[in-house]
Amino acid sequence: MIRLEQLTYTYPGAASPALSNISLDLPDSQLILLIGPSGAGKSTLLRCLNGLTPHFSGGALRGNVRVEGLDPVAATPRVLSRHVGFVFQDPEAQFVTDRVEDEIAFALENAAMPPQAMRVRVEETLELLDLTPLRDRPLKQLSGGERQRVAIAAALALRPSILVLDEPTSQLDPKSAEDVLNALVRLNHDLGLTVILAEHRLERVLPYVDSIIYLPDDGSPVIFDDARSVMRQVELAPPLVTVGKALDWQPLPLTIKEGLRFSRPWLTEQCARAGLGPRHRRHFAHTGAPYLHAHNVKVRYGGQEVLRSVDLEVWPGEIVVLMGRNGAGKTTLLRALVGLVRPQSGDIRIDGKPNTGRDVADICQQVGYLPQDPNTLLFAESVGEELTVTLRNHGVEIGDWRLEIERLSDWEIGSVGETGANLQSPISQSPNRSIAGLLTRLNLLAKADAYPRDLSVGERQRVALAAVTVTRPGALLLDEPTRGLDYATKRELERLLHGWRDDGMAILVVTHDVELAAAIADRVILMSQGEIIAEGEPAEVMATSPLFAPQVAKLFPETGWLTADDVLGVK
Amino acid sequence: MDDAMNAPARASETRFLKETWFRQRRPFHPLAWTAWIAAIVVILTLTRNPFYLALVIGATAIVGWRTAAVTEGEQVVLLSPLRFGLVVVTTAALFNMAMVHVGTTVIFTLPVWIPLLGGAWTLEALVYGALNGLALAGLFAAFTVINRVVPVRALLRLTPRAFYPVAVVVSIAVTFVPTTIQQIQQIREAQAVRGHRLRGVRSWLPLIVPLLEGGMERSLQLAEAMVARGFASGGEAQDRWPQVLVLAGFVAIVAGWLLKLVWRQPLGGALLGVGAVALLVGLWRAGRRHPHTVYRPDLWHMRDWLVAAGALLAMAAYMLPVFERSTIFYYPYPALSWPVFDWRIGLATLGLLAPALG
Repeated sequence: MIRLEQLTYTYPGAASPALSNISLDLPDSQLILLIGPSGAGKSTLLRCLNGLTPHFSGGALRGNVRVEGLDPVAATPRVLSRHVGFVFQDPEAQFVTDRVEDEIAFALENAAMPPQAMRVRVEETLELLDLTPLRDRPLKQLSGGERQRVAIAAALALRPSILVLDEPTSQLDPKSAEDVLNALVRLNHDLGLTVILAEHRLERVLPYVDSIIYLPDDGSPVIFDDARSVMRQVELAPPLVTVGKALDWQPLPLTIKEGLRFSRPWLTEQCARAGLGPRHRRHFAHTGAPYLHAHNVKVRYGGQEVLRSVDLEVWPGEIVVLMGRNGAGKTTLLRALVGLVRPQSGDIRIDGKPNTGRDVADICQQVGYLPQDPNTLLFAESVGEELTVTLRNHGVEIGDWRLEIERLSDWEIGSVGETGANLQSPISQSPNRSIAGLLTRLNLLAKADAYPRDLSVGERQRVALAAVTVTRPGALLLDEPTRGLDYATKRELERLLHGWRDDGMAILVVTHDVELAAAIADRVILMSQGEIIAEGEPAEVMATSPLFAPQVAKLFPETGWLTADDVLGVK
Repeated sequence: MDDAMNAPARASETRFLKETWFRQRRPFHPLAWTAWIAAIVVILTLTRNPFYLALVIGATAIVGWRTAAVTEGEQVVLLSPLRFGLVVVTTAALFNMAMVHVGTTVIFTLPVWIPLLGGAWTLEALVYGALNGLALAGLFAAFTVINRVVPVRALLRLTPRAFYPVAVVVSIAVTFVPTTIQQIQQIREAQAVRGHRLRGVRSWLPLIVPLLEGGMERSLQLAEAMVARGFASGGEAQDRWPQVLVLAGFVAIVAGWLLKLVWRQPLGGALLGVGAVALLVGLWRAGRRHPHTVYRPDLWHMRDWLVAAGALLAMAAYMLPVFERSTIFYYPYPALSWPVFDWRIGLATLGLLAPALG
């Protein structure tokens, strides 16, 4: 039983509260989803449930929190650990030991449970999450999904009645995410465990949840209701719900199964009325030379073939999406393209120039590469500084770009931002203008003087993007760019990538996010065990794969539609 | 997370099988290993007799070889003991010869006006330096073996309960190091990607800021995760007695030791005893403040007795006046002489081989 009354929390030194006036009454034994735009305070709210906020963060908490009759603020997180299990976003960051069993036993050892009872408890907990075969394994040998299951098991060792999870699947491929979610559903059904999880990728979790908390970022009141009615009220929605709402399907479908009851008759009706072909997608004709060219690339790593004979070509003006399970070799391929991994054999050319004998810095003048964790890129004092550092690294002389920004913000912003005309001019002519132009384009101009690490997730990612694209590379490689982004921020990223593509950039994206792939891909490549196993237009490749099919493709099979826009465009 | 990092994980599957096989054979108890390494440290500190040194190093090598068969490739060997040995023996020999101009077998003489180096360079100094180097190399080899066969965590389990929070912190630090190295690698790559080349000290700045910030974030996250799972770092008990006892015990021990050794007062011995008791009681009381149990404590088997007995036997031969011990203290000055080998001490030294039998 969780009850929040008028909960208001302000971080130390912050001008406005991170959570304001939140009142909630959460029933037992439900699977509850917490959603809201990035930066709305979801993590903070979750942390209030076991007292990590304010015990770790400091700051001022007003109002009343009651969890299982206890006040987390007065009772301390340590006492709450018996009632609330907590799982963090990054499984690695929460491991204390290095073996599966020891990790589960950690909480029990601290609780001074007698060894005999502890043996039984560890055994049960392993069983509960199907970890028994992995019990002796070192944690670093486990896959992402397995690790997250160990983290859940460790949180459940003390048998709490509430399990809280902060974006537990954001780093997992679709299959591993499904395994983790299935485990949660089973715990909820079999043990009556109350599960509260924050998640951005609603299409993954919506089928499983009982009710939803919507945490807005604009001061409007919190919504808590059953899943269907919350979905009807809020903007954040997966494609299935977007389509359902637009076509006024009642009751609003939350699962594909429910959706098919509406989509089939609707499709027949549309066909009868309009005679319906697949929606025209941008068809890309490959002319000229590819910008990125990899031929017969082989990479071995510790006696293991990570890439076996991979061929890849990306032309200017197309977006290629690379998908596959964790460990399929996708990241390695990106790293090989920019020279971070040297292939044992094979030929890689960027714009016709062979990679051999060039260092990473040199290659990256032609190819922008955004690694998985954009934080590793950011170190400068201000956003603008991040950009000038890259330019200086590449030996480009720059004057005072701030002056340029001031001039620009007077009269030029609109034109530069929209047409991107500035991008065409060679870099040496006006690096200052290119900085200002890029910041405008990435919607960061107002933040040019901000400290990069204080920004939101989406903004930080855009700063990192700016830092790798300020040299105007002909190609851009992105690794998992939608981690932790909400739908609105994702939309913004999609628009940005489309804009760059239309300017003639060759873009290669590695992602687990099928909906992103559906929205941006001109071509999709599937990899497995170091090989390319399928390649083609998104409609062909994704629609038929059970794991990588977006919701719309499942809803309207054989239409070639992939996104909500495809469907609604027809209407 | 990273494809490339998963590859070695899969490769280690076979290694894992080997490990389970080792598990069936049961590794020795960490305390048994502690006795073994203690014996080696004591012997290598005491003796400079080349025969005994050779015996100890030989035993270490055999134990290392026998255990390597089962834990092969688990850890990255930073420096092979053999290469370290070669380097340290040569440097120690040369250094000693250059610094110590004592002995009768002169190899050559440098003019005396050269500071430090001037004077006779003797064979005795060379031999003594080399023997010192050999002892060091033996220590290094023994610790390499220990490092491979005893997980740090198993050793930490031996720490008294009072130090439990400290032990946890150390064990976390042990995992923190590899993750930090991995993170440095990631950051270095991320900076290379934006055209960064490492030259000079200033160019390290872009690596340090993200590393520190990332490290801080990770520490905080880990601290939260631990508390969320009921870890207590202590400090909430009002019981001040343990601290007082530990402090008083420590002071008494230092005072008693000074009295006994420096001023030769009989009171010193008594004070030492009282201090030790106070310290132990204090630690015991402090331990009760951190109630915790151990999952699957290491069990002590017959084989562990064997290892411990072998180590104690070897140690006793060098420390206790059971045998005539003059052969231990080999000293080549002033004139090189053939070292004497006492077969009884030699035989006792072979007790160090016990871990190779199991």
